[in-house]
Amino acid sequence: MIARLLIRIVALAALAYLVLPLVVITGTSLTQTSYLAFPPDGLTLKWFGVLLDDPSYVSAFVTSTLLALAATAVSVVLAVPASLALARYAFAGRALVSSLFLSPLVLPYVVLGAALLQFGSAIGMARSFEALLVGHVVIVMPFVLRSVLPLLTPEQRALEEASMDLGANPVTTFFLVVLPQIRGGIVSGGLLAFISSWINVELSIFNTTATLNTIPVKMFNYVQYTIDPTIAAVSAITIVAAALVIILLDLLMGLDMLSERHRS
Amino acid sequence: MAASRTALALLLFAPLAFFAAFFLAPMAVVAISSVTTDGDTLTFAHYARILLDEYHWDVLWVTFRIALMTTLICMLVGFPLAWYLVRIVRWRTWRRICVILVIVPLFTSNIVRSFGWMVLLGRTGLVNQALMTLGLTERPIRFLGTETGILIGLVYILVPFVVLAVGNALATIDNSYEEASADLGVGPARTFWFVTLPLCLPGAVSGAIIVFALAVSAYVTPALLSGGQITVFSMLIFQQYSSVFDFHYGAALSITLLVLTLVLVGIAGRIGDAGRRAA
Repeated sequence: MIARLLIRIVALAALAYLVLPLVVITGTSLTQTSYLAFPPDGLTLKWFGVLLDDPSYVSAFVTSTLLALAATAVSVVLAVPASLALARYAFAGRALVSSLFLSPLVLPYVVLGAALLQFGSAIGMARSFEALLVGHVVIVMPFVLRSVLPLLTPEQRALEEASMDLGANPVTTFFLVVLPQIRGGIVSGGLLAFISSWINVELSIFNTTATLNTIPVKMFNYVQYTIDPTIAAVSAITIVAAALVIILLDLLMGLDMLSERHRS
Repeated sequence: MAASRTALALLLFAPLAFFAAFFLAPMAVVAISSVTTDGDTLTFAHYARILLDEYHWDVLWVTFRIALMTTLICMLVGFPLAWYLVRIVRWRTWRRICVILVIVPLFTSNIVRSFGWMVLLGRTGLVNQALMTLGLTERPIRFLGTETGILIGLVYILVPFVVLAVGNALATIDNSYEEASADLGVGPARTFWFVTLPLCLPGAVSGAIIVFALAVSAYVTPALLSGGQITVFSMLIFQQYSSVFDFHYGAALSITLLVLTLVLVGIAGRIGDAGRRAA
């Protein structure tokens, strides 16, 4: 009984610890003072206005959004055929190919970022949108792959074969049968991919410049010298966006992953 | 057979070509430049420099110490939270809310989360205000620029991984083992130590190793919370590429960090597999 109570206390304290910084940042973004105050001293949305009036923030928002959208789109286009190949065919080197595609999940992003800068300098691509894009595709593709692969089951295969037996060609079958079956995986994997690209600092920082900047990198460079409510306002926007995406994911596929599965 | 080979080649061509060009080739460039000089002669001098320089040993030691402490504290905080979510919470909606609260930080940039702690841990921040109000300290404690500050930030960033790994392990334990233990008259504490803990240990250990690997390679959090006072390994890499411009030496540092991480992740994978086979 005492152990149970202790676990409850530690768990609730841990939850508070997880929520505290996010609440504090969102709160300070509403302060009327020109320094960070929590609880906020008066309520105002003026710091969000300051952001909208600053072209460098607006352009960083545009870059980040375009980058995340493009990286997600390219990674879906690459991950879907890759997962079909991995699910359908037994071939020599299959395990190797699978670990190649999944390895960016565990790679230190600093190392990959440095590699892309060095490689980009060699082929004249360094510090460009393309250099950022290829790096982001590499790190987000595993998310799509991991969400699509489990959906390519034998049952799914049977429907696909039925379609082919009825005379549909592979292309028609893919768009009319396979794609609707794996759409859920593409959407949830795509959302994870979008977010991972949107929040990345370590990889992007090597290939950004003063004029080509993403939101997280801009924030990183800014926070090291100045701390003011505008940075809290940018942060608040990203926190609210993250919360919305997760609630969306929860509604789409149900995030109740920690309920017990073997209770008799 | 020939048709299926063609199909396989068609499916794999684009993803493999992309990964070869923008993942394997850049990594190969780094690997090669880590063992060459500007004149393209083979040398291991860059690695020797890492091994022989006392400063690097200091940085490595600090990095490891922080990563190890981070992992330990993550387990101490994450294990009870996972247990609470899987075993104690009975109200589904509350558990759903809790899971969302655990995941939202994961979906928020490291920079935003570290910035939150910069604000909270400052001289006049909420943490110092609370400590002084409670009378636990008379003067504000200095957190920023200390290892304690970095620890608080890193644990914050990495604890969700432990909760998810341990929570998944706990959720998949077949409770008939624990019932059998209870039926045989074993008390709850002994059942926990000798039945439940060993069953979820593989999940917990592989979660811990992932956390350790991520803590060793962390850059943003230590960079912001150290205030320039403490250097960790990934900062050395960044310095070489952004201000010193010694790409060869930076490459050697990168490869060192990469190999270290891959070895850790490999061990974690082995333990995870062994656990799945045993379960």
